[in-house]
Amino acid sequence: MDVFGSFALVLAFICAVYAFGGGIAAIITRHPLLIKSTRQAGMATCCLIFLATFSLEYLFFSDNFSIAYVVSHSNHDLSTFYKIAALWAGQEGSLLFWSFLLAIYVFSVLLTYRNKNGELMPYVGVVMAGVQIFFLTLNNFVASPFKVLASPGADGLMHYVARADGNGLTPLLQYPEMVIHPPNLYSGYTGFTIPFAFALGALLARYPGEKWIHLTRKWTMIAWMFQSMGILLGAHWAYAVLGWGGYWGWDPVENASFLPWLTGTAFLHSVMMQEKRGMMKVWNVWLVFITFLLCILGTFLTRSGVVSSVHAFARSSIGAWFVSFIVLIILVCLGAYLKNRDYLKSENQLDSIVSRESSFLFNNLILLVSCIAILSGTLFPVFSEWITGDRISVGAPFFNKVNIPIGLLLLFLTGVGPLLAWRKTSTESLKRNFGWPLAIGVAAGVIAFTFGFRQFYSWICLILCVFVASTVLLEFYRGARVIRARSGASFMASAVDLTMRNTRRYGGYIVHMGMVFVFIGLAGAAFNRDIQKDMRQGDTLQIGPYTLVLQGFETKPEKNYTAQRLLVEVLQDNKPTMMLYPEKRRFSTTEENGTMVAIYSTLKEDLYVVYSGSSPDTQLPVIHAYLNPLVKWIWLGGVVVVFGTLVAMLPNRRAVLVLAAAPQPVGQPVATGLPSSVTLREGHD
Amino acid sequence: MTKARSVAVIAILALFATASLLIAPLGAQQLSERAKQVGTKIKCMCRGCEMPASTCSHPGGAFSGMCDTAKGMLKEVDQHIAKGETDEQILQAFVQEYGTQVYTEPPKSGFSLVAWALPSVYLFVGAGVVIFVIARWRKRSVEETAPASGAPGISAELLERARARASRETQD
Repeated sequence: MDVFGSFALVLAFICAVYAFGGGIAAIITRHPLLIKSTRQAGMATCCLIFLATFSLEYLFFSDNFSIAYVVSHSNHDLSTFYKIAALWAGQEGSLLFWSFLLAIYVFSVLLTYRNKNGELMPYVGVVMAGVQIFFLTLNNFVASPFKVLASPGADGLMHYVARADGNGLTPLLQYPEMVIHPPNLYSGYTGFTIPFAFALGALLARYPGEKWIHLTRKWTMIAWMFQSMGILLGAHWAYAVLGWGGYWGWDPVENASFLPWLTGTAFLHSVMMQEKRGMMKVWNVWLVFITFLLCILGTFLTRSGVVSSVHAFARSSIGAWFVSFIVLIILVCLGAYLKNRDYLKSENQLDSIVSRESSFLFNNLILLVSCIAILSGTLFPVFSEWITGDRISVGAPFFNKVNIPIGLLLLFLTGVGPLLAWRKTSTESLKRNFGWPLAIGVAAGVIAFTFGFRQFYSWICLILCVFVASTVLLEFYRGARVIRARSGASFMASAVDLTMRNTRRYGGYIVHMGMVFVFIGLAGAAFNRDIQKDMRQGDTLQIGPYTLVLQGFETKPEKNYTAQRLLVEVLQDNKPTMMLYPEKRRFSTTEENGTMVAIYSTLKEDLYVVYSGSSPDTQLPVIHAYLNPLVKWIWLGGVVVVFGTLVAMLPNRRAVLVLAAAPQPVGQPVATGLPSSVTLREGHD
Repeated sequence: MTKARSVAVIAILALFATASLLIAPLGAQQLSERAKQVGTKIKCMCRGCEMPASTCSHPGGAFSGMCDTAKGMLKEVDQHIAKGETDEQILQAFVQEYGTQVYTEPPKSGFSLVAWALPSVYLFVGAGVVIFVIARWRKRSVEETAPASGAPGISAELLERARARASRETQD
């Protein structure tokens, strides 16, 4: 199977080279058969990558311990579930996994547009094949996952050897979220290849800018959604597994995943400027180029170990390849831009400073400032070492200080931006849209202050959250009220109807609401408390309204590890509430330890209990308990964001369908085919 | 009189005794609380984690709480506090011992100031660009019909033809 996998990868590389070279020839000659054959070569590349990936999974499932990668990341007793995750546990496999996810996107694109956009697709195909060639080069020649174990025999020749068992999967990855977090994040990273390929392809084809944005909107949103989910799942994994009570440590690899998200978010907003007003075409092309570059940079940081991080299990020396690729992309993008920039002429005009247009400009400004600040902070230790010889570390406190004010500014714009009108916003509409939300926000601030809510940033954050939530709810309320007045449906049904008529706009509002939830959760971090104590059986520990009583200790041998659990009874206001079982796991193969945090999560706060192990001094079990307010809102916000993105991707339901569904007097023609102008106010984004 | 005086003396002594009893543990508590505070500014130097000494924990270690290195560092902080040193002096003592890598955030002096200044520079430069762009676009809006400055290198007709070609050649 390893030979099969290697062979599939080599063939995939050859097909990708053909798709690339043939694609360029097809662009020049315009020969229909050549265009068709390069498209099919592109699809064949993808199928071969699928086969290679499945054969590596097969090697995991069949416990083939003659393969170096399987030996390093699996063992006989590893559960089936985690054998799937073992695929991306190390560098070779995760690079193959990158190719695999990219292949899914490329295949979908080639299939979707097989009979469409015949002139543009060869360009897009060439760009996609170019990216695939880079990763297939790594898969084939730099970091092959199919290497077999061999040792020199007595005859001086190399002989295959097979181990009896593998080294096992690192315990940090043996957690359900690790089976879904990397695929999500990688789907985000790889997904931005598609808008990138369309942007570069359209520029090379001398299209004047509008088309590629229109064609790639959904692809961009899919990538963005996966990126968002990937980041939040990673945060949740850190929270539930690492056991230090936090979810975001500004680790370089975390930062690397956050950077393309920021520019991707900026892009999702600024494309609207182009669609509605024909503005910012150059900027949008560059935003998508930068987002793609940051995705490659993110993969590079994750997989190279240039900057030290908790993700250090994926270190390597493939840095030079990535740096060369990044330089190459920059050169190609720059060249294409300089050659064809005249086709990106924008109709940049601004009627008023108080307008949707300028709010988008500031939105982009803040997202980009945050992105560059995080990037330069992450790389500062490297720079300082170059320049002064001293490596000055930049840790979480720095990133928090820099990004909290930026985040709050962004939150403010989230509330203001969507309600400003295109072109010019009248004072009257400002009053109408912001009067109540502002009053409610300030009132919430005053109430919170009188109840002793004194942490400055959290207080501002609370006011802004209430303000933004009010603006969003008010929008739904107003729209739904109009529909209800006409259709007589319930308020809820009217709100759903409203959303379905302009999915993009109201889906966007839902995403904003999700972000408000996330910010509520982040604001809670200012009030985190923790306490650590050596505990005898029967000892109690008090944190907030909770009393923890250590009832016992048990050791449970499992298939792949031995679990030591504490039995902790939780009393809330002195009433027995529940049992928690914080756990420490000892993995037999790797002799490493894992932590299973016990969390009692409510909307108000999380009781987060860690069994830290036995105290080196007293040999007693140590409990580290945290009280983390509002954390659950972050995960809840993530769910809402994903839901909103999915809504925004739905096609708009035409209002005529609603009219048709309404009871019609017998004998009258059903109101189909009416122009949309007869419906309610046409929504805009 | 003497009896009253002796009662008063005993009362005062008792008061001092209880006060000192009250103050002593309170003092100790404050000390470690401050050590914890200072401990957020120095990195645990065990090289097994990248966390501040106060919140050091070892994911995947046998003991996932504060490691011996971090504990040692906090004890050292306590000793410095006992000597009456300021936070800054304590921090400098650690820099002497471990080098600049001990910082959890760059110090606000010397070359590290660059790290702190950069985000503001980005914001101001960026805001400047945005304001400049807005001003230019507004001006163009006023001149509406006048040909835009920096006219494109290709004719409007060519651009229109490219646009027509793009819509002809693509469909959603």
